[in-house]
Amino acid sequence: MTNEEKLHLLEDVFELDENTLTPEMVLADIEEYDSMSKLSLIVMIDDECHKKLTGEQLKEFETIQDILDFMG
Amino acid sequence: MPDFLDFKGKKIFVTGAAGGMGQAVSALLAAHGAHLILLDRNKEQLDVTRIGLEGSDHTSYVCDLGQIDAIEGLMSQITKEQGAVDGLVHCAGIANVRPLKLSKYSYMVDVMNVNYFSFVEIVRCITKRKAFNPGLSIVGICSIGAFYGAPTKTAYSSSKAAMYAAVKCMAVELAEKGVRANVVAPGSTRTGMMEQAEEYSAGTDSYKQKLSRQYLGICEPEDIANSIAFLLSDKARMITGACLTVDGGKMST
Ligand SMILES: NC(=O)c1ccc[n+]([C@@H]2O[C@H](COP(=O)([O-])OP(=O)(O)OC[C@H]3O[C@@H](n4cnc5c(N)ncnc54)[C@H](O)[C@@H]3O)[C@@H](O)[C@H]2O)c1
Repeated sequence: MTNEEKLHLLEDVFELDENTLTPEMVLADIEEYDSMSKLSLIVMIDDECHKKLTGEQLKEFETIQDILDFMG
Repeated sequence: MPDFLDFKGKKIFVTGAAGGMGQAVSALLAAHGAHLILLDRNKEQLDVTRIGLEGSDHTSYVCDLGQIDAIEGLMSQITKEQGAVDGLVHCAGIANVRPLKLSKYSYMVDVMNVNYFSFVEIVRCITKRKAFNPGLSIVGICSIGAFYGAPTKTAYSSSKAAMYAAVKCMAVELAEKGVRANVVAPGSTRTGMMEQAEEYSAGTDSYKQKLSRQYLGICEPEDIANSIAFLLSDKARMITGACLTVDGGKMST
């Protein structure tokens, strides 16, 4: 998956318009990054990347780039 | 004085027997003389359950109940090998959570298959002539989630509500065969399933608030097992189509 495709998936999960996310964005600054979108993120990564994201790993994410790296 | 719960000579079929509640109810029933037929998809844990039981003639079957088409064949094999049964406890279940926007049909079906369709299919097979003894008692493990709304639980709560609705219909339809069917609806109970739920929600305000409404505290698997055993027993001979909530009082507010 390209970075662009991954960003689109994340925009979908956070219910943001297309091309609004960039890798360097800090998660704490994204209003839409709430508990429901965190759960959606876990499910999306499971569905799309076949990877299990634990609660601990989720807490360690600071930027969009961290999520992109995890998605692989 | 005779044992209040006497299952001597009774054959009880327990699904999800490798899990927290399945293990607890199997242990309780075996301690009161039952012969257990255990089923789960987790062979390793299933062996742990079987080996830990009082008595030696218990048997186990490994099966993925998500494969609904395979259940009928397995049930006739079990009837052939074990004979007619006196009780069924359906503990097998999955408690996945998913926001609605990601709950596509394929996901909904997976949850419904394990939590609901497998139950109906097993009951369908087990209530055929020669598969059960007079007085068969069926207990499905539902959830208080069947009765209130919660985010991310559309699939799970629907599957449990469907189970309860089915049990009420089964109770009426099967009464003439002398078969009883009930559900136990647990609140949060200390098992692997609860640990799984806590992985993402522990420490959050909504989770703490949810647990604070279980006024008597968190249930232990043995609390659920006691209620299941009661419904299986002759002591509950006039109870059918009922839901017994075991939730520390949560549904009272
Ligand atoms: N623990 C709780 O807080 C709680 C609350 C309400 C209801 N329940 C219900 O109680 C029942 C028992 O749950 P538990 O708490 O013991 O959980 P558990 O996860 O310890 O046990 C569930 C068992 O079901 C088995 N299982 C799952 N999918 C299966 C499949 N496809 N085929 C065969 N076996 C399968 C698992 O291997 C496991 O052994 C479940 O139906 C659950 O929905 C649990």
